[in-house]
Amino acid sequence: MSIIKTEKLEKTYSDNGVPVHALRGIDIEIKKGEYLVIAGPSGSGKTTLLNVLGALDKPSVGSVFFEDKNLADLSKSELSDFRLKNLGFIFQAYNLIPVLTALENIEFSMMLLGISEKERHRRAKDLLKELGIEELADKRPNEMSGGQQQRVAVARAIVNNPTVVLADEPTANLDSKTGGALLDLMEKMNREKNITFIFSSHDKQVIDRAKRLLILKDGKISENE
Amino acid sequence: MLAMLAWRNIWRNSRRSMIVLGSVVVGVVALIFMDSFMNGFVMQMLFNQIKLNVSHIQIHKEGFRDNKVVQNYIPDQKKVETVLDNFPEIQNYTKRVITFGLLSSARNSSGVYIYGVNPETEVKVSNIHKQIIEGDYLSGNGREILIGKKLAEKLEVGVGDKVVAMSNTPDGSIGSDVFRVTGIFQTVNSEFDKSNIIIPIERAQSMLEVGNKVYEFAMMINDYNKADEIAARIQNKLERNYEVQSYTKILPLLVLQMDMYKEFAYVLNFIIGLALIFGIINAMLMAVFERIREFGVLMSIGMKNYKLFLMIIFEAMFLGVIGTLVGFIIGLAIVYPLSHTGIDMSIFADSLESFGIGSIIYPRLIIGNLLNTLLTIPFITLIGAVYPAFKATRLQPVYAIRYV
Ligand SMILES: Nc1ncnc2c1ncn2[C@@H]1O[C@H](COP(=O)(O)OP(=O)(O)OP(=O)(O)O)[C@@H](O)[C@H]1O
Ligand SMILES: [Mg+2]
Repeated sequence: MSIIKTEKLEKTYSDNGVPVHALRGIDIEIKKGEYLVIAGPSGSGKTTLLNVLGALDKPSVGSVFFEDKNLADLSKSELSDFRLKNLGFIFQAYNLIPVLTALENIEFSMMLLGISEKERHRRAKDLLKELGIEELADKRPNEMSGGQQQRVAVARAIVNNPTVVLADEPTANLDSKTGGALLDLMEKMNREKNITFIFSSHDKQVIDRAKRLLILKDGKISENE
Repeated sequence: MLAMLAWRNIWRNSRRSMIVLGSVVVGVVALIFMDSFMNGFVMQMLFNQIKLNVSHIQIHKEGFRDNKVVQNYIPDQKKVETVLDNFPEIQNYTKRVITFGLLSSARNSSGVYIYGVNPETEVKVSNIHKQIIEGDYLSGNGREILIGKKLAEKLEVGVGDKVVAMSNTPDGSIGSDVFRVTGIFQTVNSEFDKSNIIIPIERAQSMLEVGNKVYEFAMMINDYNKADEIAARIQNKLERNYEVQSYTKILPLLVLQMDMYKEFAYVLNFIIGLALIFGIINAMLMAVFERIREFGVLMSIGMKNYKLFLMIIFEAMFLGVIGTLVGFIIGLAIVYPLSHTGIDMSIFADSLESFGIGSIIYPRLIIGNLLNTLLTIPFITLIGAVYPAFKATRLQPVYAIRYV
């Protein structure tokens, strides 16, 4: 069964009145547990597609179905809940709340779900341990390297057991070694927890390790393997 | 956790938080200072009049206040005394002879109110004895007279000099007597100093040929707020031909002025509050704009609008509460000592004296007003945060994440 399915997705921005066609008819189906990389040149629409899949942005034309539910039917507040319960996000940078420690950043997501303080403390600790980054627990983002921050971001993204994690160029600010380590972590989560990962990237390393690759060109899928 | 997050957020840009805190602190200090200063000002105006010659409650024969002639004496002193003795609220009273007359020196003469007082009871009601700047207060014997500084200047007399007082007697002839200036007083009310003289009550009675008649009972009670009520109760016990009046009836203009000052204080509070609100709006808007990206991430991961809204409100509230507490402590630390030592306003002495105030103002802290400040200022900061917080919730996550 597909977890995400799109139909004739189009997204048109207006750049000072000039229409910019960022997505021009995207039909994809993503199954649970997939590990998918969206690649393509700059400006090809990768971020736009991820935002639409992640219910952060609405398509101009077409629909996104999540487990057969049309996202267009949800209100703003329902979308917010939907993202909280089903999705995890990792952005290129500045993922974490600067005034919170790693542990607190992870707890924050659980707090939004209304999980009790004791429970979320325990789960955040366990997760940090599982990811092998317990030593970061009490560090604030400005005391961590970019790679460390991104690992904490991974922990934050998966702590509420989402079905899908969306990551927009998660390795772009990292050197290839730390980037590789981050990918190891995500692959492990994909394998062990069967969490679906969807990346956008033009990082060769990410593309090489993709289990499924989608290449965008001018807002269209040019390769889907 | 939201509150904790808000708490940490305010220390993030500590410079801006300090500016907000500073403006709240300054606002609160200004409020406490102005409020207590104004209260001190109006209450002093009132108490000075009360302690000068007005007292809390006066009793006269009906018609005396309009026509201070010797015929308008208190009909039955004994009866009034019996009534007053039955009021435990009355702390002290004194009897006075009051009439209008002329005071002359070798150089000049001037129309005056002649007060005949019993020094022993008078000092418990009035405090003119504390305002003698030259010579002494009355001892009760001999041809003593106290005159105001302004009057002494006009008549060109000093302590020990001779003056002659004259007034009408009941049979229409002129009663007069010679006095030696015992003391010169300078009260906070220069008008009073120009036109009032004080002599022993027996002297006044013999000069006016009125036997032991008196014209006024003046009294102090234990709570000046109850003056109206007690005056009414005394009036009930006396016949219609007595007139019992509290200071609020004797000084209607002053009471009106006090009310006016209170309203002015509201306006002042309003202005300070308004300035604060705009300061807070400005600072919180900056705080929101600086964190657009961060809010974008928060919204993306599923933080609901109302939580974001609350977080920003919390931030402002913390600043408001801390600022108010700090301002409160500083305000008290400044005003409390001043309420004892007073603030020397000698440069405005002339105009203050015509207000009947004196050149030293003692600020008055009023618990109710202080509590009011403690509650309203944090509330005001909260109001100031509403618009910026609302702005934050209007952000679109996609736009916010891209924002740099
Ligand atoms: N908010 C926007 N307003 C106007 N045009 C936009 C907006 N967002 C994206 N675009 C345009 O849409 C197209 C696709 O942008 P998008 O960010 O999705 O590309 P991308 O593949 O993520 O590129 P990159 O690799 O540089 O991140 C680009 O031409 C871009 O300029
Ligand atoms: Mg992009």
